[in-house]
Amino acid sequence: MIDLIRRYWRTISRPSKYFSLGFLTLGGFVMGIMFWGGFNTAMEFTNSETFCTSCHENLYEELQSTIHFTNRSGVRAICSSCHVPHDWTDKIARKMQASKEVWAFLMGTINTQEKFLARRRHLAENEWARLKANDSLECRNCHDFEYMDFTWQSTRASYQHSTALASGEKTCIDCHKGIAHRLPDMSGVEGWD
Amino acid sequence: MKISIVTTVILALGIAAGSLAQNIATTRNAAIDVELEPAKMARVDNSDIKRKRAYPMQPPTIPHKVDQYQVDLNANKCMSCHSRRRSQDSQAPMVSVTHYQDRDGNFLADISTRRYFCQQCHVTQDTVKPLLANEFVDIDEILRRDSE
Amino acid sequence: MSSTRRDFIKANAVATAAAAAGITASSNATNLITTDTKLKWSKAPCRFCGTGCSINVATRDNRVVATHGDIKSPVNKGLACIKGYFLSKIMYGEDRLTQPMLRKTDGKYAKDGEFTPVSWDEAFDIMEVKFKAALKEKGPRGVGMFGSGQWTVWEGYAASKLYKAGFLSNNIDPNARHCMASAVGGFMRTFGIDEPMGCYDDLEAADAFVLWGSNMAEMHPILWTRITDRRLSNPHVNVAVLSTFEHRSFELADLPVIFTPQTDMAMLNYIANYIIQNDKVNKDFVSKHVNFRKGAADIGYGLRPENPLQQKAENPDSGASEPMSFEEFAAFVADYDEDSVSKLSGVPVKQLRALAEMYADPDIKVMSLWTMGVNQHTRGVWVNNMLYNVHLLTGKISEPGNSPFSLTGQPSACGTAREVGTFSHRLPADMVVVNPEHRKIAEKKWKLPEGILPDWNGSHAVKQGRDLKDSKINAYWVQVNNNVQAAPNLNGETLPGYRNPDNFIVVSDAYPTVTAQAADLILPSAMWVEKEGAFGNAERRTQFWHQMVDAPGESKSDMWQVVEFSKRFTTDEVWPADILDANPEYKGKTLFDVLYANGQVDRFPLSDMEEGYANHEAEDFGFYIQKGLFEEYAAFGRGKAHDLDDFDNYHQNRGKRWPVVNGKETLWRFKEGSDPYVEAGSDFQFYGKPDGKAVVFALPYEPAPESPDEEYDLWLSTGRVLEHWHSGSMTRRVPELHKAVPSAVVYMHPEDARKRKLRRGDEVKIISRRGEIRTRVETRGRNKPPQGLVFVPWFDSAQLINKVTLDATDPLSKQTDFKKCAIKVEKA
Repeated sequence: MIDLIRRYWRTISRPSKYFSLGFLTLGGFVMGIMFWGGFNTAMEFTNSETFCTSCHENLYEELQSTIHFTNRSGVRAICSSCHVPHDWTDKIARKMQASKEVWAFLMGTINTQEKFLARRRHLAENEWARLKANDSLECRNCHDFEYMDFTWQSTRASYQHSTALASGEKTCIDCHKGIAHRLPDMSGVEGWD
Repeated sequence: MKISIVTTVILALGIAAGSLAQNIATTRNAAIDVELEPAKMARVDNSDIKRKRAYPMQPPTIPHKVDQYQVDLNANKCMSCHSRRRSQDSQAPMVSVTHYQDRDGNFLADISTRRYFCQQCHVTQDTVKPLLANEFVDIDEILRRDSE
Repeated sequence: MSSTRRDFIKANAVATAAAAAGITASSNATNLITTDTKLKWSKAPCRFCGTGCSINVATRDNRVVATHGDIKSPVNKGLACIKGYFLSKIMYGEDRLTQPMLRKTDGKYAKDGEFTPVSWDEAFDIMEVKFKAALKEKGPRGVGMFGSGQWTVWEGYAASKLYKAGFLSNNIDPNARHCMASAVGGFMRTFGIDEPMGCYDDLEAADAFVLWGSNMAEMHPILWTRITDRRLSNPHVNVAVLSTFEHRSFELADLPVIFTPQTDMAMLNYIANYIIQNDKVNKDFVSKHVNFRKGAADIGYGLRPENPLQQKAENPDSGASEPMSFEEFAAFVADYDEDSVSKLSGVPVKQLRALAEMYADPDIKVMSLWTMGVNQHTRGVWVNNMLYNVHLLTGKISEPGNSPFSLTGQPSACGTAREVGTFSHRLPADMVVVNPEHRKIAEKKWKLPEGILPDWNGSHAVKQGRDLKDSKINAYWVQVNNNVQAAPNLNGETLPGYRNPDNFIVVSDAYPTVTAQAADLILPSAMWVEKEGAFGNAERRTQFWHQMVDAPGESKSDMWQVVEFSKRFTTDEVWPADILDANPEYKGKTLFDVLYANGQVDRFPLSDMEEGYANHEAEDFGFYIQKGLFEEYAAFGRGKAHDLDDFDNYHQNRGKRWPVVNGKETLWRFKEGSDPYVEAGSDFQFYGKPDGKAVVFALPYEPAPESPDEEYDLWLSTGRVLEHWHSGSMTRRVPELHKAVPSAVVYMHPEDARKRKLRRGDEVKIISRRGEIRTRVETRGRNKPPQGLVFVPWFDSAQLINKVTLDATDPLSKQTDFKKCAIKVEKA
């Protein structure tokens, strides 16, 4: 085994005898694209609903009765729309975090519905904090304040959006908690007394 | 015997078709053996316009959507606007003082747990017409008639 | 006397009005209400469910102008549900029936004629002809009546008397058969006496609540406020909600349990087994107060005898049982271990254990509550028995908070249908028609010739439908219910029966329902506070109300209709000649004379009536008929553990829970110190049974008569919604309630919809082997069924879901299972 690695290392470390520099550069470029594509495809796969719901089936069940699942225009959100940053660096950072969650999964930290419900407040708080910190960026990826027409909103919504949201005093997640999932125990959460 | 039952049934159904053409059941307006096109699924009135109550003790109907509002052991979405503490920010009407009384009429520091499930008394209104007119007369109208 | 009463009412009016305005009333704070805006406030139990909330009703100028929850009522303490708050409007639908209507062609009655207004005289004329013809041709079995758990006490009593003692026909049954019969069967079998031992006070005393097939959040909303109050203000309290689909009651559930239909039986045997295996049997209680019996199994499904399922049954309709030992019982339930029951029911083992522990833990006071999920069940009596099993094994019964509590659907299913005994097999005070001793007692109380009462069980609800179709019952009277909409298998049984040319169908109602549409003669009825009435609720509380406004047009109360009609018959026409020959003093009298003007019912003069209230029946008959009927009836129960208070008291108080002995109500029956009928030193005494012991029954799990298969691949459950009462004939005429829930829909799982290429709002057909309806898909509503089950409410007269349901009944109680049949859903 070690022999094999050594042999390969030798081949790789030696300058090329047979191929031109141009070929190697181009080949590297093509290989790079392929590798990059594969990486992104893999990452995209981890962003897909199928991937998420393969474990989070109960959350998918909850999502189904909400407006982020079916609605008038059929524009819908999948898990990653809200839970994974769209910007590349943030996305990678989030994916690194997620590997910690995979570890928790493997260790069985949340392997039953009861354990999930017991941890739900903690998990929700993480997401609220993240969205609060980034000014509800994942909400705003679709719901752009610039393009909101208050005349199409209900009286209550247009009042809140034209005051608290417009002034920056509040961000989306401050009011819109639990819009795609069931809420955890909300005692002590600001605005839910 | 069997034949006579069958004939009776056939006769009965024949007569049913004939006589049931007169549709007196006003909430149905069709023969009983006919299948009607079900009414289109209605939408909730989301206008936020308060409605007059039929009498002062009537629980106000909800003038907005409450679709998927969570009210359970974990959270009470309604109270996140209508509680005393939230009403200034939300500009929603505070629930009435009666909601702060326990079973024996004592006032509590917070909303009474017996009133926790709002939709037992307060309901939304779909944008549909009443099936039939209701001839209930408002007390104001009766007082007006009295004074004439 | 009467001036004191008036003062009471007046003081009361001020107090309630002031309280409603949120002001503490001083005793003479009349200046708060100026003369101009004064309302007359009176109390009445709510018209709707079996909870029995007391309602304050304001009237002015002969109109009801406001209603709200009565703060003085121990039941609801000022609350009412959304229906209760809108009671003011139920009587004012624009299409109230105001005069009798008869199907006529060319001025004469014709089965296929058009409804034509007629006078009461003409209406009774044709009824007389038809009833006499049926009696002549078929005898007492040729006539029938379908009444109601919404009859007032004296309406049910007067009707029961007319049929059983007048026409000598036991073919009278209330719609409570669809609703409470299995509960009655359970009580009689386990305790030998009907109705719950506990009361609503248990709701403030229990540590755990277990809902078995009951959506109290919608169906008993005010009792739900009491459980909510208890749960949210006492963190140690737990609520378990068990159902075949998720509904609003799950919002309060600490232990939410969804189980496969019919497997409640297995779960209850598992709990019994758990209690025994974990040595949690209350041995002292069991040895002193419990007998064990093994019930007959494989008892069929209450279908027509020629049905193959019925023929396959080994012991069709058998309620037989034989004694067994505790050890034999333990061995019997040992089969119901956690793994097999978990597999059968679909409930995780962990949940099963948590549930069983609520019952097993001696430190947890547990209240079980159930309604239609248990009662509308082809093994309804068994499930009732099994629920008592787990309470009896642990001795958790008849004490505050330890309470197996059978909830009631209708406002007087207990007070009228059960206590008065308007069932086809019953007499007042739990007596039955097949028992010669019981008949003798009734004959004596009713001042009738000995041996006259019929000794045969009459046709029950579903059987009446079959009898009409088979031309066995030819003259039929329906009061206070909408059975064409409510009864199962509408196409197969109900409608053909009503429209059978051999039959004459009379329907008394306030509104033109689909049942009225299927009738031949419609009689306009006074409703709720348009007459003096009494209801008895689920906790044995009897409540009275006065007539507060006049009924519109020529409408008359159901009691008036029954009593007035009795004048059309003489004893010579309907009673056997040999009995009349032996008792010549009864000859030549009308049924009115022998049943109502019998020296008992006509005993109280009009001057006994409380001033300030009209009473159209009493004024018509010339005596205080409600009081007379009530006091004659109450004599059956007094001294027999069914004691009711004096008539007059009920008009002043917010009801009392029977037995009322020396003016004192009974909260917990069968318990020494709380129930005056329990002998000193016995601690508990189940005195409904000769040896004072309740029975634990060994009964197996048996499958439903119809389950989903390849073609009909879904379970169908039907039921109510909060905003509508039963068939919606009152609530759909209240604009606010109609706008809250305008039409029925089929609640289904989004995945079930997607598999059938359906989406929310799509028009679909719900199809069974018996019929189909058209409705629309709801995938995100208040009810969230699991995959494989759909729920359709039955209030909507435009979507008659009972065209689809199966007329299988519990073979013992004869109550229909409206919660289970197999259907398919197709795009329309």
